[in-house]
Amino acid sequence: MIALPSIAFEGFSGSAKGVTARRVGGRNILSCKCWPTGAATVAQVARRASLKKISKSWKLLSSEQMQEWDRLAEHAAGASVLGKKAELTGQNLYVRLNVNRAMAGEALLSTAPLSNVAIPNVEFTQVVVTPDLVVLGGVKHEPAPLKLVVKMSVSQSAGISNGWSKTVIITPGMEDDWGEADVTHLYLKTIGVEPVPGEKVFVEAYWMDTSTGFAGLEARESVIVIGESHYQRRVKATMDSLDPTEESHVSSLDVDFSTGAPVAQFNAQCLGHSNVASSEVYLDEQLPSEIIGTGMCIGRSNDADGHINAQSYLVYMYNRNGKSQLTFAHRGGPYYTHTEVFGTGIIY
Amino acid sequence: MFNSISNNFGAGQITFKDYQAPNYVVLNAKVEFDPTNPAYQTCQQLEITVPDLSIERSTIGGVFVRFIETQHYSWGDAIYDGGTVLKSWIKDKNTIVVEKQPWFDNNGPLLLYFVTMYAQLNQGANTIKGTKQRLTVTTDGNYLRFSSDTFVVVFDHWVFMHLQFSSCSYAQRDLPWEATFEQMPEDVTADVPVPGGGNQFHQDCFGMGECHIENKIFTMDRRVMGFWDTGREPFAFAFLVRDNNE
Repeated sequence: MIALPSIAFEGFSGSAKGVTARRVGGRNILSCKCWPTGAATVAQVARRASLKKISKSWKLLSSEQMQEWDRLAEHAAGASVLGKKAELTGQNLYVRLNVNRAMAGEALLSTAPLSNVAIPNVEFTQVVVTPDLVVLGGVKHEPAPLKLVVKMSVSQSAGISNGWSKTVIITPGMEDDWGEADVTHLYLKTIGVEPVPGEKVFVEAYWMDTSTGFAGLEARESVIVIGESHYQRRVKATMDSLDPTEESHVSSLDVDFSTGAPVAQFNAQCLGHSNVASSEVYLDEQLPSEIIGTGMCIGRSNDADGHINAQSYLVYMYNRNGKSQLTFAHRGGPYYTHTEVFGTGIIY
Repeated sequence: MFNSISNNFGAGQITFKDYQAPNYVVLNAKVEFDPTNPAYQTCQQLEITVPDLSIERSTIGGVFVRFIETQHYSWGDAIYDGGTVLKSWIKDKNTIVVEKQPWFDNNGPLLLYFVTMYAQLNQGANTIKGTKQRLTVTTDGNYLRFSSDTFVVVFDHWVFMHLQFSSCSYAQRDLPWEATFEQMPEDVTADVPVPGGGNQFHQDCFGMGECHIENKIFTMDRRVMGFWDTGREPFAFAFLVRDNNE
């Protein structure tokens, strides 16, 4: 889009050969129809379809709803051009906010939000990118409905200083995991290739208010991809850490030992097996020796027969032959094989 | 100790015993509320507003919910109390949340037992192991016995306790129980839920009783009819605040 303040184009409007002239807010604007270049990714196809659908839905609003959007737009601002902030119409704002909300998996918002609440800046202490780790660390948590949006570029020459136009949305809205945003899988899924050591990746992150669609300012950082990282991942046992050569008896697992207290966070869907009142989990790596011991946690039945009784479980943890085993052994309450173990449990 | 400021489910003011560390909080409270009240029925989750806590959010902890049911017969009363454990967390430094489940909405009034530790993650350090002490239980004539999974882990300001009931002399089965927990610190006073035991009228959740611990003495007068049913394993699981935190 080009804004051309020449009086030679005063009053000129219309379209010809892919160029459209119009006058908006006292400015004469020429714009060229843009065509996407290259093959569209699945994410781009989805986003363009969403944009079209949302744009069309504006006409379905009542006149009162449109007026509310116009009122809100008077307080919002569009990107500045030639030093003068562009006016944002109610329709522009409706589309922009609903595209953001759709990205975060939220439903269409027909009624304009009451106001534009200030959104905090993203704060993080480090970005680490290796061929098998892409993580933002030390993220200062913001509560819901704020969610983190991360955009990143494919790794490119370290000499490039301005690769911001190459960033694409890696995560459309996530909650940080206790100060950590591990986007490794999402990066590889979206970008399609591993980052190359020695090359540079451009990173942008901002908070989005998923209840309104308003987004905060982007925090930007460019990082050089390294071969190996000393980033200290916290000690957890998850489904990703299961030993594929052994049969584990859980359908979900997230045990986190990073509490700095005499407890761990136990989360597992135990399935039981072989008429034994326990569920075994086999990890493909050893747990740190200082963690090895016994835990005790609470559970609640959730089988197909509707049992919801409380249970207690001992959790035996030990290392063997370079791997670890956790055994969730039933103790208190009636035993049912399908039990969700959850919550803070003592470790001794 | 502190009082709640408000709640969204129609309970009265709630008094919490607390120990608050920089990275975790232990809370004890017993709350009664009526699930037929409009506030409870319209809320999505139970929220309690409290004065500033030492942590701004937490992982999940367990809060027990119990209903009381007494059936009156010519020969006496039959007890069919029941309940289960709910998920609870600290949403922000002023809000404690308990998940809302409809299971016992017709069994009110309901009791919530906070015997809960709320912890945080990614604290820059791993779990620090405590020391388990087998709990020696003394009763007159050794009429009440607990399994080897009955123990405490004692810290300066709080205690973790797990009880697992094993057997009782027949003569004492219908009488009030009193026992001494030798390794329990004297400064623990609490009403503790006892899940488990059979409950023929509520076979989705089974039984839920309550015991009292004070000055190393355990008492439990009211027990569900199926307390000693095979495979119903009554137990207690609790993080208890010591009365030395004022």
